[in-house]
Amino acid sequence: MSGGSARSLGKGSAPPGPVPEGLIRVYSMRFCPFAQRTRLVLKAKGIRHEIININLKNKPEWFFKKNPFGLVPVLENSQGQLIYESAITCEYLDEAYPGKKLLPDDPYEKAYQKMVFELFSKIPSLVASFLRRQNEEDCSGLKEELRKEFSKLEEVLTNKKTTFFGGNSVSMIDYLIWPWFERLEVLELNDCADHTLELKLWMAAMREDPAVSALLTEPKVFRGFLSLYLQNSPDACDYGL
Amino acid sequence: MEDATRALGKGSLPPGPVPEGLIRIYSMRFCPYAHRTRLVLRAKGIRHEVININLRNKPEWYYTKHPFGQIPVLENSKCQLIYESVIACEYLDDAYPGRKLYPYDPYERARQKMLLELFYKVPHLTKECLVALRCGRECADLKLALRQEFCNLEEILGYQNTIFFGGDCISMIDYLFWPWFERLDVYGIADCLNHTPALRLWTAAMKQDPTVCALLIDKNIFLGFLNLYFQNNPDAFDYGLPC
Repeated sequence: MSGGSARSLGKGSAPPGPVPEGLIRVYSMRFCPFAQRTRLVLKAKGIRHEIININLKNKPEWFFKKNPFGLVPVLENSQGQLIYESAITCEYLDEAYPGKKLLPDDPYEKAYQKMVFELFSKIPSLVASFLRRQNEEDCSGLKEELRKEFSKLEEVLTNKKTTFFGGNSVSMIDYLIWPWFERLEVLELNDCADHTLELKLWMAAMREDPAVSALLTEPKVFRGFLSLYLQNSPDACDYGL
Repeated sequence: MEDATRALGKGSLPPGPVPEGLIRIYSMRFCPYAHRTRLVLRAKGIRHEVININLRNKPEWYYTKHPFGQIPVLENSKCQLIYESVIACEYLDDAYPGRKLYPYDPYERARQKMLLELFYKVPHLTKECLVALRCGRECADLKLALRQEFCNLEEILGYQNTIFFGGDCISMIDYLFWPWFERLDVYGIADCLNHTPALRLWTAAMKQDPTVCALLIDKNIFLGFLNLYFQNNPDAFDYGLPC
């Protein structure tokens, strides 16, 4: 989708018009892992969409009307309905659009995916803390915590004896957690998965998934973004364009 | 009440499998999170059995039901375990027929889930107020923060111009919020609703709901529980049960 490489909108930009019928819009940022969840679901379900990238270091005033928290991702449909919180957007898309269901129909299997999602829940903030680390002590402490969290996920795969977290094919839970695993390499955190073999196999299998591979970001582009983002540069979000 | 049974503690025998046609909830009579799930069980008329857990003296076998020994947990006759109160509530709505508590429309479902995000600070704040008051500490800042959260919820009701959070009828989101509002009075912080009239109307409407009513905890019994709980008395959880 060409919209994915559009320059981000910042302060002073004109608010976008209504969403045309037959399309859904996602307010996003090219490097945001939360927005990547939504983009993965849009891709996996083949949903026609347009992307408006937001400059998260210089947010447009109008964006707070889309989401009072000012965060991406946000979905906007042609009825003007707004949906935010990445997991909620993903579930909305699965329910509202036909085609391949990413969440299971079976109530227990669906609940199981949500319980696994809870098991994953500490990882985003650990990775974020790792990015902001000040010294080597922080680093080893955080890596140890990350290893612990990875072991919990390893246990799920070992008990289920399936390739993916929801069974033998990719489903919602895999897409919800993938963005952080994609970033391990560029953050030099790959060794945290050294003792979790099933998880490593899962990561390799995910890279083969069409939606995942279509949305992969080149490590050097991500590094360029990260460097600018950590310096709070307003140009970070458009790095590589 | 179905849950008027003594809490199981260390040394207790693990319960047998759940009979077919029934679902089991591991609970505690005064826990707000378990209260959510009990409300849904009641609202949907789901046949269930309750096993209360002594949270200060957890049975060893309970860790096979939940890795950290938390409640609520649902267990069905297929030995499937479901935990996290919100996940348990959604599971019940999906798995059982009859009245649907979540809307059918995907956008309205998403709206209820977004509203739940707005509520996330309330449990922690109400608990902190309770602890502060019980320990004789001041909690003006905490109450201010709680009032602010209530203002956010007030705004939603004002904007929607509906009695309940999901519309003109009670639905899942109302049941997910309710347990903490029921406890404001017994925690000693009911005055946090002073500046939120729509929210007060909502609590009044909730108290008229048959499900909420059926599960309402007697104030004196709750106070008795709180007194024993804050004295670290392991019998707290059974307060009010006939001897």
